[in-house]
Amino acid sequence: MRVIRSMILGLLLGAIVGLYFGWGQFPAESRNSGLSDLARPFRDDYIVMVAAGYAVDGDVDGVSQRLSRLGIDDAPSAIRESAERIIHSSARGLADIGLLVHLADGLGQLTQPMQPFLDVNRERA
Amino acid sequence: MQRDLRPQPVKTASTPEIGYFSAWVFAFCLIVGMALGIGFTRVYGPWQRGNAEPWQLRPEDRNHYMIAIALEYAHSGDTAKALDKLIALRPDGDPLSQLAEGACALGSRGYLGSESGIRALRSAVALYAPQGRAGCAEELLPPLATEVATEVNLAQTPEAQQSTPLPTKRPLQDALLATPTPRYRPALPAPRNFEVLSVRSFCELTRPALIEVFVVDYLGRGIPGQRIRVRWGDREDIFVSGLKAERGDAYADFQMEENINYAIDMVGADDALGTRLSTDACYTENRRSLKSYRVTFVER
Repeated sequence: MRVIRSMILGLLLGAIVGLYFGWGQFPAESRNSGLSDLARPFRDDYIVMVAAGYAVDGDVDGVSQRLSRLGIDDAPSAIRESAERIIHSSARGLADIGLLVHLADGLGQLTQPMQPFLDVNRERA
Repeated sequence: MQRDLRPQPVKTASTPEIGYFSAWVFAFCLIVGMALGIGFTRVYGPWQRGNAEPWQLRPEDRNHYMIAIALEYAHSGDTAKALDKLIALRPDGDPLSQLAEGACALGSRGYLGSESGIRALRSAVALYAPQGRAGCAEELLPPLATEVATEVNLAQTPEAQQSTPLPTKRPLQDALLATPTPRYRPALPAPRNFEVLSVRSFCELTRPALIEVFVVDYLGRGIPGQRIRVRWGDREDIFVSGLKAERGDAYADFQMEENINYAIDMVGADDALGTRLSTDACYTENRRSLKSYRVTFVER
């Protein structure tokens, strides 16, 4: 009985320690993530890059296709939410916000918080 | 006062505590448990989904991410920034070459089916081509409208310039009698010149009586779509490089038959291969096979 007890306790404790090190301290460097798995800053980065592409070609279909790779089905709403969040948190520079606002405007999602940045864009243009 | 004459209980090492727990078994199982735990994390992957960095993207998504970088470059024109982002993907080799490969892979898989895809691949080419990198994307892309317009202008003849625009709909009789309107014909690509670099015979059980042809450019890169002619007796056949994707862009092959002499040449090659190729018995691994050839054409 004591052997079984020790075995269960050892395996359990060992597995917990193994999981802690394997996931916490030394996580596996997987190269099998999708765009939808990106961390938020990189996700925002991708959205800004897509917005920059839109600023060049004005291609709404292309935007939708590219954002769908992030797992975003409703591109206009997602752009509006991202733009507002980034404006409120000042997470990115003025140029990036300008691109997002320009895209949101193109998708018919311009809201009050975005308005000043759209004006900035127009002044720059 | 009476003394307790009963024997005292013997105190031995086998105390209840020791019976409750085995240190050796525990230590062994602890190690096994740790190994299982770490092994599971390696098989399952990172715990936190949604927390990946761009370098952790799978190849397909990495290609799309690189295209997004190219789109941003098309807007900003900032090569250094684009390069920084490509390097952040931790490519195996040159980041711009990886972009060229990624663009090529996407272009080969139907990405060019839409206008937005074409524009995106153009952005990628605009990023890597000026840096001296090349891929197949620039060959897959349709010509720009401005390029076509320029070529049309160059190809216009005086007769073509004098011709008046045709009405959208004409009587059938007029349409039948009308002289053909001069039409723009796209300029043919410049002919490529090739020469035979090497001819080697080999003997393999799995590939008997085969002419393997490799068509490469001066850097050794495979050139797909090149036509190779093989002649025997009064017959001839054409086979094309790059059709067997698993063997690479350079590869093409032709199955020989015994007791027949074959001559191969390429459009754009100086002359046909001087040596006639014929197969006969050869032996490898103590077994009989038929001799095969490996011919390399290089672009001059």
